[in-house]
Amino acid sequence: MKPLERREALWGFIFISPWIIGFVLFTMLPTLATLGLSFTNFSLATSAPLAFVGLKNYQDMLADPQVWASLEVTFTFAAFWLPMTLIVPFMVAVILNSPSLRGSSLFRILIFLPYVIPFVAGVLIWQNTLSPETGWLNEGLRALGWANPPDWLNDPTWIYPGLVLVGVWGIGGAVIINLAGLQNVPTELYDAAKIDGAGWWGQMRHVTLPLMSPVIFYSLTLGLVEVMQYFLVPFVLKNGTGEPGGSTYFFNLYIYKSFFTFQRMSYGATLAWMLFVITLVLTLALFASARRWVYYAGDRNS
Amino acid sequence: MNRSWLRLSVWAVILVILAACAGNTSTPAPTAAGQTAAASQPASVAPVTAPPASVSPGTNQPSSEATEPPPSEEATAEASGTPPPTPVIVAPESVAPGVKLVRWYCCLGTGDDPTQVKVEKKVIEDFNKAHSDIQIEGEFVLYAQAYDTLATEIAGGNPPDIIGPVGFGGANAFSGHWLDLQPLIDSTGFDTSQWESSAVDYFKVGNAQEGLPFAIYPSALFYQVGAFQEIGINEPPHKYGDQYVAIGPAAAALNVSEGTAVPWDYDTARIIAMLLTVDTNNNDATQSGFDPTNIAQYGFEPQRDDLRGLGAYWGAGSLVAPDGTAQIPPQWATAWKWYYNGMWTDHFIVDGPRFNDQVSWNPDGVPFCNGKVAMAENFLWSTYCMTSAGDNWNVAAVPAYNGTQTAAFNADTFRIWKDTANPDAAFTVLQYLLGPAAQALTTTYGAMPAKEDLRDAFFQQLEDSFGTLQNPTDWQVFLDGIDHADVPNFESPLPFNKSGENTYNESLSAINTYATRWDTTQGLDLDSQITQMQADLQAIWDK
Repeated sequence: MKPLERREALWGFIFISPWIIGFVLFTMLPTLATLGLSFTNFSLATSAPLAFVGLKNYQDMLADPQVWASLEVTFTFAAFWLPMTLIVPFMVAVILNSPSLRGSSLFRILIFLPYVIPFVAGVLIWQNTLSPETGWLNEGLRALGWANPPDWLNDPTWIYPGLVLVGVWGIGGAVIINLAGLQNVPTELYDAAKIDGAGWWGQMRHVTLPLMSPVIFYSLTLGLVEVMQYFLVPFVLKNGTGEPGGSTYFFNLYIYKSFFTFQRMSYGATLAWMLFVITLVLTLALFASARRWVYYAGDRNS
Repeated sequence: MNRSWLRLSVWAVILVILAACAGNTSTPAPTAAGQTAAASQPASVAPVTAPPASVSPGTNQPSSEATEPPPSEEATAEASGTPPPTPVIVAPESVAPGVKLVRWYCCLGTGDDPTQVKVEKKVIEDFNKAHSDIQIEGEFVLYAQAYDTLATEIAGGNPPDIIGPVGFGGANAFSGHWLDLQPLIDSTGFDTSQWESSAVDYFKVGNAQEGLPFAIYPSALFYQVGAFQEIGINEPPHKYGDQYVAIGPAAAALNVSEGTAVPWDYDTARIIAMLLTVDTNNNDATQSGFDPTNIAQYGFEPQRDDLRGLGAYWGAGSLVAPDGTAQIPPQWATAWKWYYNGMWTDHFIVDGPRFNDQVSWNPDGVPFCNGKVAMAENFLWSTYCMTSAGDNWNVAAVPAYNGTQTAAFNADTFRIWKDTANPDAAFTVLQYLLGPAAQALTTTYGAMPAKEDLRDAFFQQLEDSFGTLQNPTDWQVFLDGIDHADVPNFESPLPFNKSGENTYNESLSAINTYATRWDTTQGLDLDSQITQMQADLQAIWDK
């Protein structure tokens, strides 16, 4: 490395050092600490002295039926959630990107607006909106002639659609990312496709989707990680009980309760590491699949 | 397009996963270090955004007696990117070498409202001025975060010295960590005869005296006088042991002749509550045309913070059988079925969706306070919202079950952490809080003082706070309720599991899951639910 490059690198590290220090102190070290904790008996619910217990917490975890029940809940919800968080923001972005849409700036602002509202406040409003008796949604459905509209928050059949509704309300960020991707698609490709006789669907299939695949991959990857950590909405809506019928007892809720309700710190740490491993495996699988369907312009392999 | 999206994805994944494992989003907790830093500042009161003292945000539960640690505002605030509210630290201006600093931690129950913190701050300042060898530092954390914060301080090896006011439930969440006061009582000659001996014994766990009386919360049946007058029936009896005199529609519904005195029990209460439950077409719940989807006024609301407490009005009991296994007291099972049918079959009890409706039905956390519930069993602390309940309410004796009237009971006190470095100094502060400071504190907490000589002033202050009521409130009902308290208390400790861990919170979490399910789901087989609850508890205790 030349002296100039070395100096530039040094200044780079100096400028980025506040973040690195914060990352090491408040993220990396606590992460490693939880790994250490997972091999101990550390619990606030006992006065027993701290001791190394080997793999006991991991054995307990594998034999714990709530672990498997919570994973089932998480994956079931992911099957609803992931497609919606990919398709809806993409479609909204396509509409917003359409040259024939008038007032697109206004719509962009309106769609992004919920994203800047404190999420908890939004969830609490949704709690009342989805109320089976007095919620606006069911009032509207009754006005449309649905005599017994769904009990969104208390019926295991309807709770996931209800949660997805809450989630879709906050898609502003994803829409902006998709919109940025769409606006990066070179217009000459659409012109060429039109000359070749491609209609709207043909352009979408052969131009938009391939060129948007990196954005879709990015959204899918983040969506996967986020859904594995899904916590806040059911925690607020259902007071952390996991109801109705255990359908909101997400894995992350179980981690939270193990830590802060049951006060079993080492067990909570063990669950957190299991979540890490599962998420890592799924993400690696996703990255491995990316070679087959993600298109990178200028990539030698593409 | 290039590989920048790929790189972005990789970095995003790494950061999000690491953040999750470190607890940044999913397991939020305030850091003890942050609190210590704040504590070291000169005496100041940080801005707070506290809810009403007795209401747990988001849960609609009175906070004086904690059930399960509720959703933490900090958890939600942190996840949403909003900075969490700051705990209020009241610290002495300086602590000279050799002076013992006693940390007072609040608020696992009441005490977090800004108006209360103002009084608590004055209490601390008065003590600190009068003592050169001991200084108090107060730490006032919002109820919604108080459990998590305390757990984190303990985990960080930074527990406070004195904790309170805290009820039985809150204390049991940390059972095994409270100092036995008896050696300090003996060594200092502290006079406990200022309280009734039964009140002192209420805080004994085995041979350990883990607390001393401070504030008590007997319960009673609140009722809307106008609702009874409107349909021409008698009000419920105020004296324990008195019968209910049925007139008008009540006599007809109870199938007795006009003016007959019938037992004031839950069978009678059910019929009266159904008469008082009316739909928007003014049909009551005993009539065939009654529309349960359009109810304008409910007849009855139980105390539903905790299924154990709900059951306790039907008779004292314990979930722990004499042999240490899980049991469901039969009177509690009966109470739960009465409650469930009251919500979903007879429709005279506020159902879960409406109970959770903070706009139309339950803005104060106590449905009675919105004026749309005719009768409600509750503790004395629920008077915090009675100014919203109109100007024509009163209190009566709770109904009987199997001939016995039981008014569930609760009490708050201050407790000393077992491993405090300064037990003598902490005990001095405790004596101050229970003695000279008790008047000011119980007044601001809306708590009945355990000391009888302070009660007249308490009731006068309570009376004054309601303005002009059409009828004078019969406070004697609460005092009479003390003699009908549930013993053993419904919040008695629960067993440690086979690994030696306190199962109180986990057991309570399981119980609350059933409470939520029953509140929100029709058509359940309660017998099998209750059997399953017992099995769930046993499984938790067997871990």
